[in-house]
Amino acid sequence: MSVAAYRSLAPYAFRQWRRLLTIGVLTLLSSLAVALQPWPMKVLVDYALSGIPVPDAVGGALARFGIEVGPVVLIVGAGAASLGIFALNSLLDVGLTWSWAVAGQRMVRELAGDVFGRLQRRSFRYHQQQPVGDSLDRLTSDTWCVYQMTDGLLISPAQQLIMLGALGVVAWQLNAELAVYSLLTAPLMAWATVKFGNPLKRRARLAREARARLVSFVHQTLSSIPVVQAFATEHRNWDRFHALAADSVAVSQRGALVTSHYTLVTGLIAVSGTALIVYVGGRQVLAGALTIGGFMVFLAYLRTLQGAAEGLIKLYGALKPVEASIDRVLEVLRSGEDEVVERTGAIARVASAAGPRGAIRFEQVTFGYVPGRPAVESVTFEVRPGETVALVGATGAGKSTLASLVARFYDPWSGRITLDGHDLRDVRLAELRAQIALVFQESFLLPLSVAENIAYGRPEATREEVVAVARAANADEFIRRLPEGYDTVLGERGATLSGGERQRIAIARAMLKDAAVLILDEPTSALDGWSEAPILEAVEVLRAGRTTLIIAHRHSTVRQADRVLVLEQGRVVEEGTPAQLLARGGTYARSMGLQESRSQLPAEVAA
Amino acid sequence: MNRRSAEGMLPGTGADVAGGATGPSDLGAVGTPGIAGPTGMGVDVWWMRLGRYGLGQWRSLLLILGCIVLTVAMDVLRPWPLKLIIDNVLEGEALPAPAGWLESLPGGASRPGLLAWLTLGTIVLFLVGWLGKMVQQYLQVGAGARMVYALSADVFRHLQRMSLRFHGRQPTGDLVKRVTSDTGCVRELVVEAGLPLVTSLVTLASMLGVMWNLDAALAMIALGVAPLLGVCIWFFAGPMNGRSYAYYACQGVAMARAEQTLTALPLVRAFAQEDREQRRLDGAWRDSDSAYLRLTSSQLQFKVGTGTVSALGTAAVLAFGGFRVLSGDLTVGGLVVVLSYVASLYAPLETLAYLSTNLASAAAGAKRVFEVFDRAPEVTERPGARVWAGAARHGMGAGHIRFEGVTFGYEPGRPVLRDLDLEGRPGETIALVGASGAGKSTVLALIPRLYDPWEGHIALDGVDLRELTLASLRRQISTVLQDPFLLPLSVAENIAYARPAASRDEVVRAAVAAQADEFIRQLPQGYDTVIGERGATLSGGQRQRLAIARALLKDAPVLILDEPTSALDGETESVLLEGMYRLMEGRTTILIAHRWSTVRRATRVCVLEGGRICEGGTHDELLARSGVYRRLSALQCEGGAT
Repeated sequence: MSVAAYRSLAPYAFRQWRRLLTIGVLTLLSSLAVALQPWPMKVLVDYALSGIPVPDAVGGALARFGIEVGPVVLIVGAGAASLGIFALNSLLDVGLTWSWAVAGQRMVRELAGDVFGRLQRRSFRYHQQQPVGDSLDRLTSDTWCVYQMTDGLLISPAQQLIMLGALGVVAWQLNAELAVYSLLTAPLMAWATVKFGNPLKRRARLAREARARLVSFVHQTLSSIPVVQAFATEHRNWDRFHALAADSVAVSQRGALVTSHYTLVTGLIAVSGTALIVYVGGRQVLAGALTIGGFMVFLAYLRTLQGAAEGLIKLYGALKPVEASIDRVLEVLRSGEDEVVERTGAIARVASAAGPRGAIRFEQVTFGYVPGRPAVESVTFEVRPGETVALVGATGAGKSTLASLVARFYDPWSGRITLDGHDLRDVRLAELRAQIALVFQESFLLPLSVAENIAYGRPEATREEVVAVARAANADEFIRRLPEGYDTVLGERGATLSGGERQRIAIARAMLKDAAVLILDEPTSALDGWSEAPILEAVEVLRAGRTTLIIAHRHSTVRQADRVLVLEQGRVVEEGTPAQLLARGGTYARSMGLQESRSQLPAEVAA
Repeated sequence: MNRRSAEGMLPGTGADVAGGATGPSDLGAVGTPGIAGPTGMGVDVWWMRLGRYGLGQWRSLLLILGCIVLTVAMDVLRPWPLKLIIDNVLEGEALPAPAGWLESLPGGASRPGLLAWLTLGTIVLFLVGWLGKMVQQYLQVGAGARMVYALSADVFRHLQRMSLRFHGRQPTGDLVKRVTSDTGCVRELVVEAGLPLVTSLVTLASMLGVMWNLDAALAMIALGVAPLLGVCIWFFAGPMNGRSYAYYACQGVAMARAEQTLTALPLVRAFAQEDREQRRLDGAWRDSDSAYLRLTSSQLQFKVGTGTVSALGTAAVLAFGGFRVLSGDLTVGGLVVVLSYVASLYAPLETLAYLSTNLASAAAGAKRVFEVFDRAPEVTERPGARVWAGAARHGMGAGHIRFEGVTFGYEPGRPVLRDLDLEGRPGETIALVGASGAGKSTVLALIPRLYDPWEGHIALDGVDLRELTLASLRRQISTVLQDPFLLPLSVAENIAYARPAASRDEVVRAAVAAQADEFIRQLPQGYDTVIGERGATLSGGQRQRLAIARALLKDAPVLILDEPTSALDGETESVLLEGMYRLMEGRTTILIAHRWSTVRRATRVCVLEGGRICEGGTHDELLARSGVYRRLSALQCEGGAT
């Protein structure tokens, strides 16, 4: 993992610098409190029990308060002191935990907010390749990496270093020889960490991947429940689940083995260090150079020192699993190649109040989703304000691609597209998309109320406006029949409405947006003929006075267009009014001819 | 059989569409009824239900117990070398009888020699303890993961059986979380709460035993603090439990919200609502943040409370033990051992205290798991359901479908189908026509028994569907839906979805028949190309042709078809129709027709209105009569003429 990866997340941590500073101060105070901890023990053992006289300074001070220094006073005093030291310690601990909880939570939120923002802006292609479940995982669990990273790189090292420094100084004062011996273990531990650290990272990544495979399998199955049930594959899915689960168990067990090697080596180093101190310290007591109480204080310090040193060195290993998460978060944050970027200084307003709006021009536009495989090639055409142009052509001819280029979901490889004379790339994205209303094949209703869905593009719209567009979209009637009318909340994927009803809400939504350009991507394709009529009516209303680009396949729809562009393999092969094209007898006439055979019914009914 | 009463038992079925104020997950709003469970398991409490999954790993658990005993023994012995050093090396007292053998070691009679041996002893104690811990850790990781997966496999299987209505209402992200992370509750219960409980109890018992032998009075003091600690636990654990659940619930809401946005991304982008979606999610996160801080605050209160009690205990032992040493009843080394036990005694007691945190979070997870678990699937297999044994015995051709007096709806009191009769004989094609909302898709959903009718019954070859096993029933039915629902598998795997064992030849043949072979071969890896999520890298017509190939390969006598429309232009459509007609050959087909050409090919056309079949007959007969059919036709023509 490169330093750059950490650096790019660092700002999220440093934005909480005030709290981090507080944590630093509290840490310093708390290491002093820890240094005090073994002293009641020394007082007890040396002065109260072994009868060593109390140092004059302390004895004198106590005498001034009229306290006779005796074993009883010393024993009670030691007990009371241990309580006082505890109180101090826990007070500092509460402060530390709380500050870190707040700071940590905030930095995770900020990062997750940015990740979500990026996810919203990544290209559709990115999302087609990235299962939603995986993106959610990155958003909700991987973003904790900034918390873990700050803890591992900043908070914990600072805490351990301060602790080491403070206790090291006290230990040095107490007994320089023992202090030097106790520091001997540190380099050995560092060696063990470097030696065993790397396999840990690989294991963590493997375990994570195994789990991700399982989660995404569950997600995939649960989101295709209709097929699962219709094809009765429940049992097979269950078997697959078990196989994936068994995989994941095996991987994490191997991980546990690697971890325990590591604990053996570090533990052995620590315990040998302690043994060394016990032996050397014991010899010193025997030689009369150290009191038993002093020996015990030193042993207590040694434990804390070793804990701090171990914690410090272990951080190297502890960060390894986090790096996988950091990678996954940064993958999202990094901008993709096919992504649309807003130019600095982009125009905030394209429309001048005067004059017709909504002129679209394609100039020699070439674009594709995969390098070297253009989906549209050298396309040039113009749509005048208020004109309706139909795009027809076989599936895969590039119709939808042209539509998404107008909304600038992608940028062309070469050539340019203009709206009212401005290159799309010179316009602020929000402004561009405010000029365009889109109706998709899929209606994409959100689990909000009907009214909120209709007002999605303009949340501030009044109820009257919402009802007005619903009426114009032929939707008012069925909406009023819903349990709570306009306040009915729609189930996920709009499941409680029929396809035709959902699409009419989508049209009302586009109407309320009141944009100059309208793009209809086969709005009735998912509907049967019976539900199509009210929608086509609604489309008529929506179209009035707007520049309209409609992708259509039904003759009934195409006939309404002023002009038709016929696409074949990414190129415009025919262009003209529907009548002209029919008369010309080209591709258009051929494909419509097929449909005519289906449209003979009107004649029969009329007859 | 009347299903309406059963419907009434499902909480929230009527209110959910409207009750959105309670949040996107209708399970969240259901709350406790989910735990009590319509299954009526009565006294079963959550930890007993989870415990069963834990006990599935009893072999590992037994071995782990062995390791625990070993580790605890090492822990109890740990301060003894130090005691012997203080008392017998430094203070120079004679070795106590049980440790007398130390003097017989080479050099053990001299003080420095004894010091060296005792020092070595600490290292040996560590090594043995480590060995026990390592084996325990290895077993624990495996056993924990296996019990979690056993539980999540069951939840997963259960969810697969739940009705489409349930899935339509439940955000997928929330369900995925319940399957994959909330099921961790069983590990939290058994491995993170249960095993530490055992470890702590064993540690407590053995340390108290040793202390009792050293100094009974001192042991009593140390023991006396336990009830105080118990009060602390009782007092602080309650709020912690509730707050932990609240925190998880908030996280679920935020996750569902993010998922909604990411799923509807084209819409969000086209309407330039990215910022608003971000604010919406921020709102959910803020709730989750404050829930987290509330949880942290109750955890802190808990920690300080128990810490205070344990500090009081330590101080008391220190002071009282001091007096005992002064009076000569205890050696300094003995006091050190007691103090070190007191420190390690409070550790297991605190573990016990924190158990309730683990239990609380396990309970929160378990609540969410059982909420879905206890929702009975609306369609269940009867005990003793039969495997569909073929048609011959009933004296009818294979694939005879019959609806008799079927009434059904999705919400109580609002039937979609009323007293519907319908018959499809083998080889016939029945076309359903009618306005949207007339119940056409509902008729199709009832045939593979995605739902059960409230009244009346549906029979396949004379056998009521409810008497058949679901798998055997659904094997008889091929389905092509409007949404082809391709899975992110390879093209070949998608086609062979119903019959994974199918050979590549069979797959290719089905694809050829469905007119899909040509475009599949043009894909980067041909039949092995993996389809992007939601099949997005293929066009609508191509996806639909794959769905047809999938149904062809399944080769079932009954075909239900929500006629794939028109996501297609004229040319692809004719190609698609050809595949579709080939699929219909020789099968009983019930289809929702969108196209005159299809309607005309049907043996019979049924016009649905108001949940009933109001007219039936061939296309020509219906046209000849004046009726709804003509009105519908006229409507269609209008659409074509304007």
